[in-house]
Amino acid sequence: MRMWVYVVRRILLLFPVIIGVMTITFAILSALPIQTHLIATFGASKIPYTPMVPCSDVGQPGNGQCRNPTYFQLVHQLGLDQPIWVQWAEYMKNSLTLNWGTVNYHSNAASAFSLTTSIPVTTVLGWYLPYTLELAALSLIIILAVALPLGNYSAVYRNRPIDQAARVMSFSGFALPGFLLATLVLFAAVILSGGATPTCNSNSTHYFDWYGSWPPFPQCANQPTWIGTYIQTSPTGFPTIDAILHGDWFLAGESVRRMLLPALVIAYGSVAGILRFVRNSMLEVLNLDFIRTARAKGVPETAVVSRHAGRNSLNVTVTVLGLTFAGFIGGFPIIEDVFYLHGVGLLLAKSIQPTQDFGLIFGTTLLFTIIVVVANILVDILYAYLDPRVRLG
Amino acid sequence: MTPVIVPPKGGRPRPGIAQLKRTLYFLSRNTLAIIGLAIVLFFVVVALFSLFSPLSNQSLQQYCSVTYGTNGTVGCQPVCTYDASSGPAPAANCYPTYSGNVGFVGPTVDLTHLTGGPLPLGSMQVSSGTNQYYYSIYDGLLKGSAWSLGIAATIVLSGASIGLVLGAIAGYRGGYTDEVIMRFTDIFLSIPGILLVLVIVASFAGYVQGLEGRMLLLVGAFIITWWPFYTRIVRGQVLVTREQKYVEASRASGAGTGRILTKHIIPNSLYPVFVQLSLDVGAIPLLLGGLIFLGFQIYPSPYFPEWGAMSANSVANLQSLIESCQFGACVFPWWQILFPGLTVFLFAISVNFLSDGLRDALDPRLRR
Amino acid sequence: MAAAAPVPAVLPVPPPPPPMAAPASLARSPVAATSADAHRIGNVILDVRNLRTYFFTYDGVVKALDGVSFNIRKGETVGLVGETGCGKSVTAFSITKLIADPPGRIMDGMILYKGSNLLWGIEREAKFKPLKGTNRVKVTRRFRRIRQGQDRMTAVRGGGISMIFQEPTSALNPIFSISDQISEALLLHRGIPIVRGLLDASTHDPATIAARSAAIEEAIAGLVKIARQNDPETLRTAADAFGRAAGLPSLGTQAYYIFRSAWADPEAKVPELRKALRRLHLSGLRENYIRHQSRLLELQNELKLAYMLEMRNGKPETRRRRAISAKRWGSKLRGLGYGVWGVRGYVNKALKEETFWETVALLEGVSIANPVQVARGYPHELSGGMLQRVMIAMALSSEPELLIADEPTTALDVTIQAQILELMRDLKSRIGTAILLITHDLGVIAEVADRVCVMYAGNVVEVAPVKELYRHPLHPYTQGLLNSIPRMDQPDKKLESIPGSVPNLIYPPTGCRFHPRCPFAMPKCKEARPPMTVEGEGHQVACYLYNGPVAKG
Repeated sequence: MRMWVYVVRRILLLFPVIIGVMTITFAILSALPIQTHLIATFGASKIPYTPMVPCSDVGQPGNGQCRNPTYFQLVHQLGLDQPIWVQWAEYMKNSLTLNWGTVNYHSNAASAFSLTTSIPVTTVLGWYLPYTLELAALSLIIILAVALPLGNYSAVYRNRPIDQAARVMSFSGFALPGFLLATLVLFAAVILSGGATPTCNSNSTHYFDWYGSWPPFPQCANQPTWIGTYIQTSPTGFPTIDAILHGDWFLAGESVRRMLLPALVIAYGSVAGILRFVRNSMLEVLNLDFIRTARAKGVPETAVVSRHAGRNSLNVTVTVLGLTFAGFIGGFPIIEDVFYLHGVGLLLAKSIQPTQDFGLIFGTTLLFTIIVVVANILVDILYAYLDPRVRLG
Repeated sequence: MTPVIVPPKGGRPRPGIAQLKRTLYFLSRNTLAIIGLAIVLFFVVVALFSLFSPLSNQSLQQYCSVTYGTNGTVGCQPVCTYDASSGPAPAANCYPTYSGNVGFVGPTVDLTHLTGGPLPLGSMQVSSGTNQYYYSIYDGLLKGSAWSLGIAATIVLSGASIGLVLGAIAGYRGGYTDEVIMRFTDIFLSIPGILLVLVIVASFAGYVQGLEGRMLLLVGAFIITWWPFYTRIVRGQVLVTREQKYVEASRASGAGTGRILTKHIIPNSLYPVFVQLSLDVGAIPLLLGGLIFLGFQIYPSPYFPEWGAMSANSVANLQSLIESCQFGACVFPWWQILFPGLTVFLFAISVNFLSDGLRDALDPRLRR
Repeated sequence: MAAAAPVPAVLPVPPPPPPMAAPASLARSPVAATSADAHRIGNVILDVRNLRTYFFTYDGVVKALDGVSFNIRKGETVGLVGETGCGKSVTAFSITKLIADPPGRIMDGMILYKGSNLLWGIEREAKFKPLKGTNRVKVTRRFRRIRQGQDRMTAVRGGGISMIFQEPTSALNPIFSISDQISEALLLHRGIPIVRGLLDASTHDPATIAARSAAIEEAIAGLVKIARQNDPETLRTAADAFGRAAGLPSLGTQAYYIFRSAWADPEAKVPELRKALRRLHLSGLRENYIRHQSRLLELQNELKLAYMLEMRNGKPETRRRRAISAKRWGSKLRGLGYGVWGVRGYVNKALKEETFWETVALLEGVSIANPVQVARGYPHELSGGMLQRVMIAMALSSEPELLIADEPTTALDVTIQAQILELMRDLKSRIGTAILLITHDLGVIAEVADRVCVMYAGNVVEVAPVKELYRHPLHPYTQGLLNSIPRMDQPDKKLESIPGSVPNLIYPPTGCRFHPRCPFAMPKCKEARPPMTVEGEGHQVACYLYNGPVAKG
């Protein structure tokens, strides 16, 4: 079928999936005890503990148990006493219009990020998302640069030492706990770049150099003036791009440097899967008929591999990379936690415990899901562009 | 003229057995897979030993009795503790604690711990509120093997079973059933994995009480996250198997849907499931560790002996340890990080080797 | 150089061929000792001797070829006939060493091509160890040596020996255009004449340029006049004249196609023609690039000659090869600047156009009606018959001595089959290439072949000139084959089939491999393989029914 027909079909499939995801988050939300909702919105101190109180407390006749007016007032305020389908419709409407609630300033997340007023969740997400996206992009570049050549070599020299070594290396990347590797890398970098003696706010300045974000203490490191209180940058919100737009190459380099270690850790963990895939796809291509024809023509082996096989194995690799990128957006809560990179993963991690901030939790979930779905569709479209046979179905 | 062709000795084995022998043969030629298999078997033996051995038959309840506060906090009181730095255990079921400001005890090469002596792998500290608990790493790793392997196996097997059933139905029936099941799977696949686990555990933590409850919640959350992957794999494989000629022949000779499914489709779809299964088993302790690292209280006690928990706790403490070390000379507790981390790493990588060997042995496209 | 490889004991060893007198000269190996062949002895271009190829699989060792010998003389078409699974394709792949290396290995034998043994060095490429208790053999491959062997074959593949394959639809790279792929072959094997031609035509000598311009103008005028007549023949002649005037034959082809459909208004096409002429004016950068390519091609040629020398003398020419490789690396480094993205496209343009029009000329030669569109197009846009023609064009572009055609018409329908065979016959008479035609179709053989080799289960059982084979088939298998074909002149003839089925090559029958199915089997047939005996002029048979003199070689 025509290309645009395929594109439209894929985009139309987007909506049921997103609505399905929103329904699931709604299901989880509505399964929560009402108590939790109340505490989350109003703070624990203001919630009367029980919905029912002894009648004498309220001064009403009855069978000994009376409804607590404050409690039910608050419940009504939150709209939790309406029938479930009304709540679902309300939730859908809010979600689809990006009215995802406000940050709960009682929560841990709020205090961690110094958010003192009720800022809408979407705004906060908008501040933190570019950092995660940049980190994902940098990781992807590193993975590409490593996995593609290594995978091709592994396929051509199958089962020889380089194949075995690449396999072991990629497995070790998969098997090491991410937090372990991240922490070790960070401290190794700190120690190697000059030591861990504290000079500023009980941490060494070298620590802040390799930290993912600009430290919250202006006296400890040079913060550019255009980075605001809530680490929002202007005008696009992406730190590196903004630095380049401001013409500040040094800061662009600094921004990349802060992302370098986390990106390396992420790449080391992800190379395993992609390496395997590149290798298998290359092996498959090397078994095809036209490779035999090229050899029979007298093309030297290096040209057979690089020219004839290489371009053909790229199609599927692109798909896999796209899917990996989509998987990345699942956020890297652990990596961002260790390197304190102000990304959405960290936001999520902080908002889950000990006091949950449901606005942030479910907002982040919805955001990630939308990104994954959109990335999947983009990958499908790209694949259809590269391989005309796909458009038939 | 009768043909005189010498048949292979021993008659022809059944196709299923022959396939198994082939797979084992190719696995045995892969050194990495053999190493992986050996290590995994070693861990399995250790896990069984720690469950059934008379030396350390403590069930979890005896580590501490869990107390729940009024606003949902969890506390833990050790049942029987003794001060290990001042002598051996007074009774068989006592848990060692260490007092004094030398809270770190380094490793010693002394296996008398098996009968109650000092610690071969050093001790580890965990804070819970204002309490500091110190416990033996060796002990924890030993008991943790049962927990890690058990949790991983449960999650993976359940997820695979659900995925197998749903995937087979979706792939075989096709049409409307297929579409509905796949959309449903897609929805779950769209929510990134660790996120879903976090969300479910965070949301429902208030509902469950007790160790069993919390473990069920954790395992359930993981199963809900995991089954879509298997469904997709199985469905893909079923779609291919369904078109094979022997299925058509079987249907032509009168076999019903159930028979075809059980005899042809499902056995042929098992192979990629095995490969994925073995990979996931290795990944789950790592994920559990990641959750703990983020601060999640998914276990009832802060020194719950599970590999991921131990390595995560040690690493989470690392930063504060380094800071405190800067203000005064102290010993960097490398054993707290190395031994649990090494155990998880060994397990995951050997499972990976095994899974890789399985994949190579089962791949029909590699010429043999 | 004829030492047999050490054979592991468990593998069944065929009876060694009778000891051979040392050949007087490698180029003149005596094949059949009959007087009628004497005058053609010097014309053998491919001599396959005792070729053994085994496949080492999980289920055992498949002895696909067990001592295959035949030869091909200059300009003749030899048909290799047999059932599916008898080893015909394996033979073809063994000749060019395209056997899939795990699991296959060429074990033993000699393949003499123009005096060089293509299988030199085989014995050092792998070691074999039979595993006790099973029928498997552990093969330890020495990858460096295997790689060296493959590199050596680049001297022969495509240039001296070309191949076309069975499935044309999957035989070409789907992402490159037809002209790209044929140009690759052209540059590899005819690159030096093409590049030299381009350089000569773009000379800077003012006298030549002046003379040429005059000739070109005259030719253009002639072209315009003739184009109006709408006569392809004369247009062709005029275009060729134009090409000669310009100094580059490909310009002639281009001119032809520019003016072919322009009989209404030829004047409008002249600017296009002049634009094509700009190809001759090479800027400094382009000229340097082309000289650089020419140098690389020369070095490549030297390397190929070194490889051929190695295979001829049986002695490694490591020093010479290393010297050439070093010079090649030097050249490549100097040409690194051309690899920058964007530059390559610019400097390559003249060469690319040149090879494009050469490709068009080649496609004309294989009777493709619209060669320009086909050359610009991609493999998936063409049908099987067209693709097979393209493959033939590609294979014959280098004017090889031998064309190996592995079942070229099996995947095509009968009408296309006839066209392709006609094409091959035509090309054979024009270029004089020898053809090794592999097929299971006896009708095709009757049409095209001069001589036939009949194979069964990895052995050659009969060799004869084609008419002789059809009139007097000697081997029981050949007789069975011919009896099973329906004949126009005997409409009521019963179609006989050969009882039994193709043997399992892991456990092949002892002695003559056909004896289980042979109606004339004797006890002797089980014991040892019958040698090839000469039973007539050029007719040899491997059967104990006949007692002719044993064929030498």
